[in-house]
Amino acid sequence: MRQPLIELTDLTFAWPGHPPLLDIPAFHLEAGESLFLKGPSGSGKTTLLGLLGGVQQPDRGSIRLLGQTLGTLKQGARDRFRVDHTGYIFQQFNLLPFLSVRENVELPCRFSKARAAKACERYGSVDQAAASLLAHLGLKDPALLMRRADSLSIGQQQRVAAARALIGQPELVIADEPTSALDADSREAFIRLLFSECHTAGSSLLFVSHDQSLAPLFDRHLSLSELNRAARPANDLEA
Amino acid sequence: MYLLRLALASLANRRFTAFLTAFAIALSVCLLLAVERVRTEARASFASTISGTDLIVGARSGSVNLLLYSVFRIGNATNNIRWDSFEHYASDPRVKWAIPISLGDSHRGYRVMGTSQAYFEHYQYGHKQSLQLAQGRAFANDPFEVVLGAEVAQALHYTLGDKLVLAHGVAAISLVKHDDKPFTVVGILQRTGTPVDRTLHISLGGMEAIHVDWHNGVPARGAGRVSADQARNMDLTPSAITAVMLGLNNKIATFTLQREINDYRNEPLQAILPGVALQELWSLMSTAEQALFVVSLFVVLTGLIGMLTAILTSLNERRREMAILRSVGARPWHIAGLLVLEAFALAVAGILAGLSLLYLGIALAQGYVQANYGLYLPLAWPSSHEWTLLAIILGAALLMGSVPAWRAYRQSLADGLSIHL
Repeated sequence: MRQPLIELTDLTFAWPGHPPLLDIPAFHLEAGESLFLKGPSGSGKTTLLGLLGGVQQPDRGSIRLLGQTLGTLKQGARDRFRVDHTGYIFQQFNLLPFLSVRENVELPCRFSKARAAKACERYGSVDQAAASLLAHLGLKDPALLMRRADSLSIGQQQRVAAARALIGQPELVIADEPTSALDADSREAFIRLLFSECHTAGSSLLFVSHDQSLAPLFDRHLSLSELNRAARPANDLEA
Repeated sequence: MYLLRLALASLANRRFTAFLTAFAIALSVCLLLAVERVRTEARASFASTISGTDLIVGARSGSVNLLLYSVFRIGNATNNIRWDSFEHYASDPRVKWAIPISLGDSHRGYRVMGTSQAYFEHYQYGHKQSLQLAQGRAFANDPFEVVLGAEVAQALHYTLGDKLVLAHGVAAISLVKHDDKPFTVVGILQRTGTPVDRTLHISLGGMEAIHVDWHNGVPARGAGRVSADQARNMDLTPSAITAVMLGLNNKIATFTLQREINDYRNEPLQAILPGVALQELWSLMSTAEQALFVVSLFVVLTGLIGMLTAILTSLNERRREMAILRSVGARPWHIAGLLVLEAFALAVAGILAGLSLLYLGIALAQGYVQANYGLYLPLAWPSSHEWTLLAIILGAALLMGSVPAWRAYRQSLADGLSIHL
């Protein structure tokens, strides 16, 4: 059997001076899988994503990404490992407003040689990769690529963010409430586009949202509160 | 390199604040360099006021006072020197040349100096440059001839052949004029950038002639008056002069002769070394000059603190920017580097704009400053001293940039990828 892409074992985490926020005995994500992780705000999902990104360190337990235990890497190496293998899409205002659309998409390739190399391998150049990813995501107009990122509509911006997460085919795409700023119709369309692009790039998708209605679209869906033994019903504080 | 691109793009996004910050630095840099340049040039032009003269002799007072009235035409002599004392030292075998100076009259605020031909031959300024006539000739045998300094001729629009009347005393508006004995302009000197430019030179005979019928500081009346033509036929050897400039055959004799003059039994005299007196005078002014320099340094510091404030206040609203950068792979030191580069870019822009302002200012004010203060501000490439100052400013800016850089570094470690709305 293939090795899972993400594997958490006996993970616990608490912010200093706070009660335990996360206590996850086991969690895994297979390569190429799309997983919907339901978590209301305050359930610790942002913290979980921070742990997966190697920005925070668990108090106990291990996180293995692509067979690599994050805890054994130094801070700088964890940062490099993250950008080499993970693309992120956030809720909104994902883009640097003062850069052009194209420059925003190319950002990960500026900080990761591995992603730049993969983008070049597949599309010939980083420029080419950005243009074709944007075109697949419905942003075909070449003039649009040169515009400032903040001149786009929210829906367009989220597609640019998706293109940025996908450039250089990272093994994992983490999407944190990427559709919450979109209306219901564009929400589903966006997710379908995201699926097809993740499929093309061969990336797994970890999709975190509180919106249960999106869950059936995914290969598998989980609830963070079932997963997390530290979850308490009354806990409504933002972590 | 990509970080610099990001830093510049981010600055461009906040271009109004960035512009103001750079402008504040530019103004402070311009002020510092302007003060530096004026200071340097003032010191240089001051030191080059007189050269080649070994001793200046006058009545006993203070060395600075003697220097002020004999060279800078500022203030007045306390007493005169008898003509025979002048002759005594002028004929001394150790003395190569002697320039007699007689002061006390003026023309429309410019000092009149009585002297001899020796002045045009031996007086030197700057790097041993002699006086040159721009037009005409030096005064000759006729006592009523005047040679003008460059600024006098320019400011009062005199040309060769013009007649002018000298006033008694040195006040700007003099009530007593020597209007019975007008002088003719026979020569105009080239500009020297020294007090010579602001002086009217006449012969000692001319000086004597306009005062020949004066007694106890007032002109004679009626029959006692002497006309210009009568004066021409009189013996116009003065009985007293104000000061003497001496050039020696051998510099080694300077101190011996100085001591001898100071001990001269027939008349109380004082001899000074112009170089030493210039130093003394400059040290009086250097306090003000250094104060000016320190003030301009503080202005630069203020400009840099303005930059520090602008960057620090921007940090909070840029947390999102930092988090996005972190999510696309920027490491905390990238974030820190970004802020240092930002400070660097602002400082470089400020310095370049400051230099442009300086050169623009010099180009515009050069003529005016030269005409009014006798100070020549060169439109020259920055000196090594000025480059050093600029490098220090840049270094200070980088040092200041490291404060927000450190904060952003800590912040980005703590915030990670999460963006707090």
